[in-house]
Amino acid sequence: MMASPGMIITVDLAGQLSRSLPQHQVLEVPSGATASQAAELLGLNLEEIGLITINGVQSELQDILKPGCRLCFFPYLTGG
Amino acid sequence: MKLLRVDMDQLLVKWEVVPAAYERLGGRALIARVLLEEVPPACDALGPHNRLIFAPGLLGGVNVTTCGRLSVGGKSPLTRGVKEANAGGTAGDALGKLDIKAIIVAGQTAKDDWYILHIHNDHAELLPAGDLLGLGTYATSDTLQERYGDDSTVISIGQAGECCMGGAGVCVTGEGGQRSNHAARGGLGAVMGSKGLKAVVIDKPGPKLPEMADAELLRNAARTFAQKLINDPKLGRSGTQHLYGTASIVAAVNEMGSLPTRNFSDGNFEGMGTLRGEHLREVTLARGGEVGTRCMPGCVIACRNVYVDESKTPIVGTLQYETIALLGSNLGLGNLDDVARLNRMCNDFGLDTIETGAALGVAIEAGQAQFGDFESIRALLAQVGEGTVLGRLIGNGAVATGRVLGIRRVPAALGQGMPGYDPRSLKGNGVTYATSPQGADHTAGNAFGARKEVNPLGVQGQKELSLKLQIIAAMLDSTGLCLFARPPIIANPQLMVDMINGRYGWGWTVEDYNQFNRQVLRTELEFNRRAGLTAADYRIPEFMRTEPLPPHNAVFDVPDTELDAVFEKL
Repeated sequence: MMASPGMIITVDLAGQLSRSLPQHQVLEVPSGATASQAAELLGLNLEEIGLITINGVQSELQDILKPGCRLCFFPYLTGG
Repeated sequence: MKLLRVDMDQLLVKWEVVPAAYERLGGRALIARVLLEEVPPACDALGPHNRLIFAPGLLGGVNVTTCGRLSVGGKSPLTRGVKEANAGGTAGDALGKLDIKAIIVAGQTAKDDWYILHIHNDHAELLPAGDLLGLGTYATSDTLQERYGDDSTVISIGQAGECCMGGAGVCVTGEGGQRSNHAARGGLGAVMGSKGLKAVVIDKPGPKLPEMADAELLRNAARTFAQKLINDPKLGRSGTQHLYGTASIVAAVNEMGSLPTRNFSDGNFEGMGTLRGEHLREVTLARGGEVGTRCMPGCVIACRNVYVDESKTPIVGTLQYETIALLGSNLGLGNLDDVARLNRMCNDFGLDTIETGAALGVAIEAGQAQFGDFESIRALLAQVGEGTVLGRLIGNGAVATGRVLGIRRVPAALGQGMPGYDPRSLKGNGVTYATSPQGADHTAGNAFGARKEVNPLGVQGQKELSLKLQIIAAMLDSTGLCLFARPPIIANPQLMVDMINGRYGWGWTVEDYNQFNRQVLRTELEFNRRAGLTAADYRIPEFMRTEPLPPHNAVFDVPDTELDAVFEKL
């Protein structure tokens, strides 16, 4: 498990990213962790991530997470 | 190549050599030019002076993957400006193989006098269609394919088009009994109905390809293009588009707070989980439906589905994102079976699901049905086919519905209902809705997915982004390319230039191609200007500037001065 002190966030995965992982889960990450660190903890391939949102706001891998936030990873998507 | 002229006043058809002014145009580019040259811009869109144009793109019929779309065009009864809408199926490919640059329909028949246009190789004729009158697009397509062969292509309208409803689209059949490809937007089905043309049937052409200027150049570029699509992480066999179809974006648009919900009053829908693409795939496969099929011959992306009920009977194929947003969350419906059934009704009446979903949302707000109550919504939509006054209202789209029912929260721009992205949380699309000569149309320049470039909630950079996307869309719609196939061309425009030079031998450079794309927009804007449309006609509705949209509590705050400056660098 994570070294303390950690923080609890929720993570949603879409499309192929949830092939072998649940679509929704609660995750403990180190305080001050980035979206990238959360993705690595989950074992996601960063190259498969096309879109990240934190609390519904478009974000980047290096963005820092806050306690209780909702982090979503999406594969590459195209609007049509 | 040749033009087929159809005169509905005199009931004459005539083959014509392509005039020089039209020679280097196709699809949307050709439609814009024909409208400017031949249609009095201020004419009645449903009167005899409008033209209805069917045109494959520049690469139609030459076996380039994803390039077989059919453009349908004319002056729109909804926007009162230029309109091009396109559809998959086999029509674009068939017309291209027959070396037909366009079918241009003029005039209109006497009242209640209906015809089909039948094309068999070099032979075309108008035939009486009284027996088809009142039929929906499914029965019309079935009847005509029984008559002309199930490998023929049928382009038809349903009851909505016959009644000249502003929400009427044009339906195109595809391979293997496929029915529901629609050039849906802008009321072109009403234009077809106004001419007295119920359907166009194209017998399957032989395998012979049109003459190529440099077949090897075309073949090599086309092969590279196809390979790049297959290798694209979004589009290839393991890509989201292939696996989940256009519905792959439901969860993302919802998460970003832009999913139209209950007549554009929220950007999040609590029932999204059972509308998302992952769920659609799961249900479809569990019931024995189809996913990952194609809407056009030879498409390597294959994002189409056939959605079936629990007894494996097809309800609709294909169930798409825009329909899920406008007939699903926008009406408070979170059940794909319900959405699919409304989708089928729209397809059969020959109605645009976006316009109709927007109109239904407005009508529900006026108390004509209840959000989330499928039965009341189904009964309301059924009135379109029954021809009641309320049904005609819905069939005439969101603006007409709002005006008559006294609702000012109408999600529309330039008279046309908004697609599945609320512009308050995806402002780049708002800029496109409010400036495109096509009106509120996501396919005219969709900012969803342009995440690295511009913050969707911010104002900065939206003007430049929308212009860039609108120029790309003009290219797609003029070459017959599916909009999902754009990435390899954006990355390397030379690929498109090579394909066009291989086909026609025009010796284009990338700059020629760039100017061609820009000229499409210039021509369209000029037609709209001459039609009397002003900046005020294009604006985003006032309520979106003042009413904050949850969850980001965003308003559409791109200043009018920015909107008016979008085409400064065109």
